[in-house]
Amino acid sequence: MFAEAAGRIRREQELLSELDCVGGDGDHGAAMLRTMDMLECAMTQDCHETLNARLKDAGWSVLSVDGGASSAILGTFIAGMGDAVMGHESDCTHLALSFAAGLRAVEKQTKAKPGDKTMMDALVPAVQAFATAANSGESIAHAMEYASDAARKGAEATKGMIAKYGRARYLGEKTRGSADAGATSIALLFRGFSAALKQDEET
Amino acid sequence: MRMKKFINDPKHLVPELLEGFALAFPDKVRLNGTSTIVRATPKASGKVRLVTLGGSGHEPGLSGFVGRGMLDASVAGEIFAAPGAVKCIEAIRNACTGGESALLIVLNHAGDVLAANIAMQAAEREGLNVKMVLTQEDISSPEGDRRGLVGCVGVYKVAGAAAEKGAPLDACFEVAQRMERNMRTLAVAMRTATHPATGQPIFELGDDEIEIGMGQHGEAGTGRMKLKTADETADIMLEKLLADLKVTEGEGLLVLLNGAGATTLMELYLIFRRVAQVLQARKIKLVRSAIGEFITTQEQAGFQMMIARMDKELIELWDAPADTPSFARL
Repeated sequence: MFAEAAGRIRREQELLSELDCVGGDGDHGAAMLRTMDMLECAMTQDCHETLNARLKDAGWSVLSVDGGASSAILGTFIAGMGDAVMGHESDCTHLALSFAAGLRAVEKQTKAKPGDKTMMDALVPAVQAFATAANSGESIAHAMEYASDAARKGAEATKGMIAKYGRARYLGEKTRGSADAGATSIALLFRGFSAALKQDEET
Repeated sequence: MRMKKFINDPKHLVPELLEGFALAFPDKVRLNGTSTIVRATPKASGKVRLVTLGGSGHEPGLSGFVGRGMLDASVAGEIFAAPGAVKCIEAIRNACTGGESALLIVLNHAGDVLAANIAMQAAEREGLNVKMVLTQEDISSPEGDRRGLVGCVGVYKVAGAAAEKGAPLDACFEVAQRMERNMRTLAVAMRTATHPATGQPIFELGDDEIEIGMGQHGEAGTGRMKLKTADETADIMLEKLLADLKVTEGEGLLVLLNGAGATTLMELYLIFRRVAQVLQARKIKLVRSAIGEFITTQEQAGFQMMIARMDKELIELWDAPADTPSFARL
């Protein structure tokens, strides 16, 4: 699941950096590459007994990446996921609780909300969509598809927004017209999760 | 603008630059782990440690200020990107190993603040005695959320001197905050730089334009205008700074000019001349000065003008001895 997400982000590295040129210094793609390398490596380690431990460790590995705000937020999200998950990773309800825990951890570190043109514009809708689907008894693959869709729409919506956080927040109107790089990364991440789960289902 | 730099593989840029830096100043600093610069000879035990963090690419900042009288540790991130929180936590832990206290000095940039907050939360959980100072003195950003620019050097100096004297954490913290409250910075950009990892220009600026109010990484400010003379530029910038800091007749100022990387000392001397003239005319005392490259932005042309209201104690701390690779006095 993480390998698929990492692959997607690797392929879109240049796009992510280009988007980051509008409000930042054009290195978001490179930062996400370092982040995904670390995440992929951490998630494929065999040494953990529980998924909780693996997520916590993976989250903290991401927090060791020099990726500025992006790796700080993503690392916090993943480590936070490790606070709630119980049992097997293919349990939809538990994964929903896990995502929610991850989001709560992020909300402790930033006041950014959807509408501020940040990763949150994709992350919050994704987590909410997954939870709704899980509560309706959807399979994990279907729930992830809803999440991926919500993330994509959230990232798209950032095109019309003015940045309120990050270094782009001083640029005002100049930031309108292109999607937020961070939100785009999150959308790619969930797209990757979704694609991987669909493949699993089909095999 | 095409990138033309002496560089190896950009992927190894930061470890290589830190290695080179540490090899060049072995009597003052050493590299700890992958990207934390610490003093070659630790401070005497019991004294407050000063730790900072920030992206690379701004050399000599920030690691150039590690040494006697200033910083004890500087955690370096990737080019223009804050270091990971884990390294920051480790640096604080290492600083406090003997039961010492630490002062974490952070510049207000999104990634730096996120990493610092996570590190401070961990420090609290581990029962370490750490206080954090946030520098946010750039007058071109909105009040309440100002960017931290070269003013941090002033904070490193005065708080570092206080720590070296044996002042406890609360006193070092108070001095740092007093400096922070009394300093203001404004930047001007004349020509872009290229990002060493991406090879791309950091921002766009017309051949005949300057922009007053540019951030540390080329973030566009709002004061774009046609090129002015040195005197005109100094007048505009100093006026805004004096107004923002509400400087009155008779007060004493430190004035620091920080070259962005490509602006010549020649130009900075011209700017300084005008600053000194204006201050004299306004009966404001120029008590201390510093000109050089402290926190650059690659080969950007431009500079930052920093003023700080100095009281007797701040002047003494500013004058105290220091021995770092990029700031030294006997």
